[in-house]
Amino acid sequence: MRGPVAWWNNPWRPPRFLIAITVGYLLWSLLPVLIAVLYSFNAGRSRTTWQGFSTRWYWGDQTLSVWHNDALHTALLQTLKLGLITTLITVPLGTLFAIGIDRWRGRLPNGANFLMLLSFVLPEVLLAVALLFVITTVAVPIDLGTTAQVVGLVTFQVSYPAVLVRARLATIGPQYEEAAMDLGASPLGALRRIIVPMLMPAIFASTVLVFADVIDDFVLVRYLSGDASTEPVSVKIYNTARAAPTPALNALATLLLAAALAAVVIGFLIYRYMTRSDTTTRDRGIGAFAGEV
Amino acid sequence: MPTPPTRRQFLARAAILAAAAPTFGAFLAACSKSGPASSGPSLTLAAPDNPIKWPIADDNKPIADGLAPEKGATLKIYNYADYLSPQAVKAFEDKYQTKIEISTFNDGDEAITKLRSGVDFDIYNANYTEISRLVTGGLLRPLNHSYIPDIKNVWPSFTNPWYDQEWRYSVPYTIYTTGIGWRTDQVPADIGALKNPYDSLWDPQYKGKTAIIDDFHTAMAMVLLKQGITDVNTSSEADLKMVGEQLQALVKATSPKVTITMYSDLPAGQMSLAQMWSGDIINAQSYLPEGTGPEILRYWFPSDGKGLVDNDMLVTLRGGKNPVLAHLFINHMLNPEVAKENFSAIGYQPPQNTITPDSLVQEEFIPENLRSAIVKPEYFDTGYRLLELDAANETAWRNVWQAFQAGGS
Amino acid sequence: MAVPVVTAPPRQAPPDRERRNRLWAVLAAPGILWLAAFFLFPLYVVLCIVFGQIDPLFRTPIPVWNPLQWDATQFTYVLSHIVGENGVYGPAILRTFIYVLVASALCLLIAFPVSYYVARLSGKRKGLLLALLIAPFWISYMMRMFAWVNLLQDDGLFNKVLSLGGFFTPDVKWLTGQPVVVILGLVYGYVPYMILPLYAGLDRLSQPMLEASRDLGADRLSSFWRVTLPLCRPTMVAALLLTCLPMLGDYFTNDMLSASPKTTMVGNLINDGVQAPGQTGQAGAFVMLVFLIALLPMLYYLRSVTRGSEVSS
Repeated sequence: MRGPVAWWNNPWRPPRFLIAITVGYLLWSLLPVLIAVLYSFNAGRSRTTWQGFSTRWYWGDQTLSVWHNDALHTALLQTLKLGLITTLITVPLGTLFAIGIDRWRGRLPNGANFLMLLSFVLPEVLLAVALLFVITTVAVPIDLGTTAQVVGLVTFQVSYPAVLVRARLATIGPQYEEAAMDLGASPLGALRRIIVPMLMPAIFASTVLVFADVIDDFVLVRYLSGDASTEPVSVKIYNTARAAPTPALNALATLLLAAALAAVVIGFLIYRYMTRSDTTTRDRGIGAFAGEV
Repeated sequence: MPTPPTRRQFLARAAILAAAAPTFGAFLAACSKSGPASSGPSLTLAAPDNPIKWPIADDNKPIADGLAPEKGATLKIYNYADYLSPQAVKAFEDKYQTKIEISTFNDGDEAITKLRSGVDFDIYNANYTEISRLVTGGLLRPLNHSYIPDIKNVWPSFTNPWYDQEWRYSVPYTIYTTGIGWRTDQVPADIGALKNPYDSLWDPQYKGKTAIIDDFHTAMAMVLLKQGITDVNTSSEADLKMVGEQLQALVKATSPKVTITMYSDLPAGQMSLAQMWSGDIINAQSYLPEGTGPEILRYWFPSDGKGLVDNDMLVTLRGGKNPVLAHLFINHMLNPEVAKENFSAIGYQPPQNTITPDSLVQEEFIPENLRSAIVKPEYFDTGYRLLELDAANETAWRNVWQAFQAGGS
Repeated sequence: MAVPVVTAPPRQAPPDRERRNRLWAVLAAPGILWLAAFFLFPLYVVLCIVFGQIDPLFRTPIPVWNPLQWDATQFTYVLSHIVGENGVYGPAILRTFIYVLVASALCLLIAFPVSYYVARLSGKRKGLLLALLIAPFWISYMMRMFAWVNLLQDDGLFNKVLSLGGFFTPDVKWLTGQPVVVILGLVYGYVPYMILPLYAGLDRLSQPMLEASRDLGADRLSSFWRVTLPLCRPTMVAALLLTCLPMLGDYFTNDMLSASPKTTMVGNLINDGVQAPGQTGQAGAFVMLVFLIALLPMLYYLRSVTRGSEVSS
């Protein structure tokens, strides 16, 4: 019979301690959200006392439910609008930027790379305040509202695809491109027909990540919003949470969560389909999808 | 590896940069958004003993009489959160076949920043501490009285208030006092019976359970009143220094929350004792959780009326695209039935002739334990008002407030 | 005997590479222009406002574009009020540092074991666990904070649990000025941002190297301390930066979970001052300070990374 010392020294024993920490973390991380989702189905007005199950906050209540409340509709629409437009601009911009910076030698690209990394880690409030100053004191053709919000969001998010694509380029290495050019392709052709298809997983991953990040964004969109029609869901939650929220807010957040989850699941399935024959990503599964810095 | 720049290249680049800098500066200056030119060396500040009749600029005349309301428009109202009854809004939407969009702000500074940046709201809920800036800044549209006959329903003094003689730009919206509210189930003492009720906010036995209003002028004025100073717009350096010290002591003693959501936080139990507006404690009744009755709420305001008393107003904005609807909406809110319904929804009393303190308690609109939250006309004779401060004074006040908000050690 | 000195011919990029360089430049140009216009230029505008003037009537900021005309009053006002007898901002700045350090340390303590387990030891359940770990990214940050506000209210679940089903009433208001609550809020919000890069880095560690150390006789603890940790160091530094620096500008966690001057952070000073008349320049000064504080670790990190790559290449 093995004693405790032998058990301690066994290198193959299951790491119960680590498992406990992981499970504990997952519970701490997800439980509050699950409770909030649960209360979105509360029959009463309270968000802390369970008063029965009902879907009144989704479509039942005539004035306050998400379905009937125009203000919440507008917020949801604005969130999705911002997400789409920003992603459509950010991903191509960031991808081209990454490809260019990766190959271009010189001081300027090094500086630009540093700038991009800086925009990745700087607190968002700095960028938000700076852009607010620009819009209110310089006569640029941008007003507070959706345009300003998109500009701020793209600037803040452009580093995401840039970093992911660069990481992927590093993994791919130069051999495919060089082989193509040995066989007579021009650099642009090699890029278009070899590299970009190989980058698709990273591009796709960054699309999903940017979209998810944008619909969750708060600081930038709040500073750069115009009137209530340009306030997305995150700002509505903040405004209402500090005043007097009803479970309709929980319902709204749950809907958004469901949308984000759906987007990610679909994205992952498409990613799996697209890379089913790609050897460089085979073993890394979700890790490659999630993007590695 | 790129070759480092030679000395000649470096000098050439530096020369170009130096030459370009001033032109760049001039270019940007030309691109600057210039606000309206400041007229005169200082803002005209109104006071009860210095009533002001605001000028109407030639390029900012009121709209013509008898115009039809705009069709298919969206009326944009800029207001505090939870400060307008949804039923009143819906009634207006149905009556005029229009849509109303309400945007909210947390404080006046945030609101004015948005207004000055050109967002096209139609109606704004203003306070007379801003009116000089609003008028001088060209943000307001003067009213055409022919659209607002229901003004006859409000207290007569409001047709010629000292802050806007001949009500050229504003109509009154709500009246309120600033006192102290608490809940008896968590604060058994009768705060109103204390010698100096304001002192209770400094009482360490309530540590972590108190709150003060997130407005520099209101909160600091309370400190002045606590110390017996009745000039709540003082520019005395010694007084302001004292206020700063008292606020630091406040953080040490009770560490209050600084917010304007007392009406929902007190019932939710996030605080037990707070500086509050009278409308907040009345409104708090609707936010109490199930099983807790309104009899636990209390409010104190000096019975002789020697406390802070104010009113809010509605103004129409020059940048708004629906001026006729805006006028009609203002008239709608002055209707006695609508005003009363608004009162029950937001808790803040409108200065309507049909609403008297006695009628309110008689109709059991307000419970007996909250009688002190009703605003009496006499208060406006004896009470102290928060006035608009001149630039230098306001800077001094705000610096004290900023030091307080930065938290001390 | 004189040695003929032959100067190297001037370096000239072969025409082919020149053309390719231009291609990359063209590809990168839109991104560079965008960053210059919407990142660099706004930072310059912040400088112009901090060193600019204030309109005497409305006390709105007037930016001064020409650096030669800059006026440092607002900046020196902020600097002079950090320490000393007027040191009103010092405590807030110090508090921010403390909160961020403590929160980052807690994040690391939580994130490292979790990502280590998921990356290396979870075997079959790796995919599922990773999905659960990534889930917080796609749950609105506001909603996660909002969920905690609900839990910490007077009648919320936390107090219900704490009172052990009604045995006694906890007499603490969790949402009014409790530094512990703010720090835990920061940890809760930012720990997912640390888990992902840690996971990615730990995933790449070579298992053979770790097994080798065990084979050579090191015990569990020693093997971890002397082999695993040093190998993870670059990843940990990157993850720390990614979490620490954004935390410096956080203001809404404090706003939602506390709203008391006792827990004010630099982000709150910025947020409160930006729209207050006459104080916009001061808010801009804080923006500059936070920028500089964030810049230095980034520079150091980049130098160490590029130096490392130079050595390896």
